[in-house]
Amino acid sequence: MRKNLTIGIVGAGGDGVVVLGSFLQRIAAALGYFSQMPRYYGAQIRGGGSAVKLGLDAERLSLPKDSTDILVCFSWERYLEFKQEMALTEDTLIAYENDLPEEMKLPKRCFWIDFSRRSQELTGSTRSKNIVVLGLLKAILALPNIQVREIIEKDEELKLLQENLLALEAGEHLFREHSLPELTLSPARDPSAKVVLHGNAAMARAASDAECRSFFGYPITPAAEIMEEMQRGLSRKKGVFLQAEDEIASVGLAVGASLTGAKSMTSTSGPGFDLMTEMIGLASTDEIPIVIIDVQRCGPSTGIPSKSEQSDLNHAIYGGHGDAPRIVIAPYDVEGCYRLVIESFNIAEYFQTPVVLLSDQWLGQTFVAINDEFLRKDYPIIGRKKPSKEHSEDYHRYQLAEDLISPMAGAGDELLAYQTTGLTHDDKGAPAFDHKTHQKMHEKRWKKLAPLCQRDDLVKFFGKEETSRGIVTWGSSAQIVIETVRKLGLQNEIKVCVPELIHPLPEKIERFTSSVERLLVIEMNYSGQLYRYLHSLLDLPRRTEVCSRAGGQPFSNEELTEPITELAR
Amino acid sequence: MTQVKDHRAKLKPVWCPGCGNFGVLSAITKRVLCNLGIPNFRTFMVSGIGCSSRIPAYVDTYGLNSIHGRAVVIAQGAKLAKPELTVIAIGGDGDFFSIGAGHLPHAVRRNIDITCIMVNNFVYALTKGQVSPTTPYLQRGEGPFLSLEMYPPVDPMLDMISYSLSTGSSFIAQGIATDVAHLDWLIEEGIKHKGFSYISVLTHCVTFNPPELFSTIRENATYLKEGEPVELPESSSEKPWIHDPSNIDLALRLAQFPLLEKPFLGILFRGNLRGSDVEPSSGH
Repeated sequence: MRKNLTIGIVGAGGDGVVVLGSFLQRIAAALGYFSQMPRYYGAQIRGGGSAVKLGLDAERLSLPKDSTDILVCFSWERYLEFKQEMALTEDTLIAYENDLPEEMKLPKRCFWIDFSRRSQELTGSTRSKNIVVLGLLKAILALPNIQVREIIEKDEELKLLQENLLALEAGEHLFREHSLPELTLSPARDPSAKVVLHGNAAMARAASDAECRSFFGYPITPAAEIMEEMQRGLSRKKGVFLQAEDEIASVGLAVGASLTGAKSMTSTSGPGFDLMTEMIGLASTDEIPIVIIDVQRCGPSTGIPSKSEQSDLNHAIYGGHGDAPRIVIAPYDVEGCYRLVIESFNIAEYFQTPVVLLSDQWLGQTFVAINDEFLRKDYPIIGRKKPSKEHSEDYHRYQLAEDLISPMAGAGDELLAYQTTGLTHDDKGAPAFDHKTHQKMHEKRWKKLAPLCQRDDLVKFFGKEETSRGIVTWGSSAQIVIETVRKLGLQNEIKVCVPELIHPLPEKIERFTSSVERLLVIEMNYSGQLYRYLHSLLDLPRRTEVCSRAGGQPFSNEELTEPITELAR
Repeated sequence: MTQVKDHRAKLKPVWCPGCGNFGVLSAITKRVLCNLGIPNFRTFMVSGIGCSSRIPAYVDTYGLNSIHGRAVVIAQGAKLAKPELTVIAIGGDGDFFSIGAGHLPHAVRRNIDITCIMVNNFVYALTKGQVSPTTPYLQRGEGPFLSLEMYPPVDPMLDMISYSLSTGSSFIAQGIATDVAHLDWLIEEGIKHKGFSYISVLTHCVTFNPPELFSTIRENATYLKEGEPVELPESSSEKPWIHDPSNIDLALRLAQFPLLEKPFLGILFRGNLRGSDVEPSSGH
């Protein structure tokens, strides 16, 4: 019996890989198990490879392990595409149904099972072969029969299973003669049901909870799910949803909506984010609140659209001509995907500025089963500063208040009509062509953001304050870094700092980097973008190392073991 | 509410003396907004970049002089989020038909209730005289069109009227900056039209157009009057027909005549709206 287990499932598009993984994850979540299930896709939509790696845990939210305890393989040809992600050990149990390629050497416990034939015999179609496998996995893990039947009966999302109970039962009986006690899963410590969602869904849900009522987007991998979720949500709430003709239009529509007072958002990935650059400058200089989600993928250009990377940081912080301040925020887990969207709206609205939220493919598309407390918390919702009655006499849109944040009227508000422009403008929004005004308005837009540098709560800290070795990491890489430090038992030697707010730079980061003798920056991009950013602003320790490489494959514990161990030495 | 007589804002225009944009501005501020009685705070006017894109700054409504080519998308966002606003997108030929042309067919097919005023001066004037998509094309052998220093355009001009018709715009009109009363009427009709309305305004650039261009336009221009015969160019052998703006076939026939040969002024087409388009925001 074990507390956690990693199951790899790989096949061709149409084999039902993601459905199989999702069904098992949902059933396990209903039984109280935590889990994370990253998805791996090839370049094709159908017929290409697809794989999932489900890491179940009876006690806490953890990551799937580097190697798999169980591998279900519908196609060895496709397996080879994902063999790094789906590593095997001598103990991996494998169930497969295709002939082995000659060069493959398999561990000792390998079972050839004709899932397709069994499905065909029972249901008249090979399509339920993944359900047969689900039955098999359920039996191996020894998930309780009666409870599982109840879960299947109750859950609308498992309707397909209700109609395929024969296939499920057939799978359950497959391994009856084998005894595999080491692969049974101990009961969940907290049997309360976990909620299953991915970062993209969490972000859409948060936008809705943050009272975002207008969304504009354009389809792009791997961000399209946010748009789809927003479409569903906003149609129920009678909000505004529009699939635009391109990303320039998406962000432009959001700017237009925001000018009327509506909380507005768009989501995209790298190439679309590039197209939004000019409009970010306008929103920054005209102080128009908008939230832009960039679910990062491998770049530049088309790159690897379906795989994760953290290489849009430079663009998020610096992208565009002129000096256009904006906020850059990056969640590192699914809870952060939710919380930080609400935070982004609060910051965008309060500071009247564009907020760029950097997610990535791993965060966006990994299904996570987790306690749902974070979805039920009462987060404060902050709106924009509105002009009061006395402003209506002589309303100056960019009036220089003490906090440099000017009350903002929404188009349609009585007595406050104002014109603004992307030209350098004065406090009334009228075009100005002199250096003095230009300088003054720059100061306004940059300095109004200063209070954000005090937001210690947006910089996560793990470890012991007094240690002299530290890691700064961000985004989805942070999860594997924290887990590797823990697995190596180095929590007392190494502390970890994960900035969620990256720009403007919170002071807490400087306190962290100046408290260590040795610093390691870990991130998934070729050039070390966070490192360069920190280096440009802070006096980093003389002994600062960077562990960064191109994306396309998540970091593994094994890969990070050496740099992290070296840091502790 | 007291009748506002003029919706001009205090700011002084940057245009050259004699610029056609003064006519467009005065149609909007002295007539359209006053006649329709729409309160200034319920109007949102957005422009892109160009001489005519300066217009919003001189009007006392809400508005934004945004970035090049994007007025139409910002206008749609504002209208969708607040349908009670009267939303006007205004700009020039380069703004709407070059850099921003990709947005137009989509604004048209969505039929969101905004009014798009394209002020066509046939040239990039703000950047001092480069060819625009509407600069008339010259046959080989004729002299350069713009000025001796400039290279003549080598590509045919884009005809905004036939473009708008072919993409299915539900309201298409053409006015001229020198006839402010007529232009006022067109814009009012465009604003009243529940759906996407497109209004082309022919104007002259006193600095970068040769004077012959606008004098040709004025000489050849003819007003379209509903129920009366249309005046066709002399070169046409077609039999004149009775103008009926609700008839798309007749509008297409009007659109086939080259602009400089016969600029038609008036409402070329006013389509019947499909039921779902009456409340454009509900469908989105």
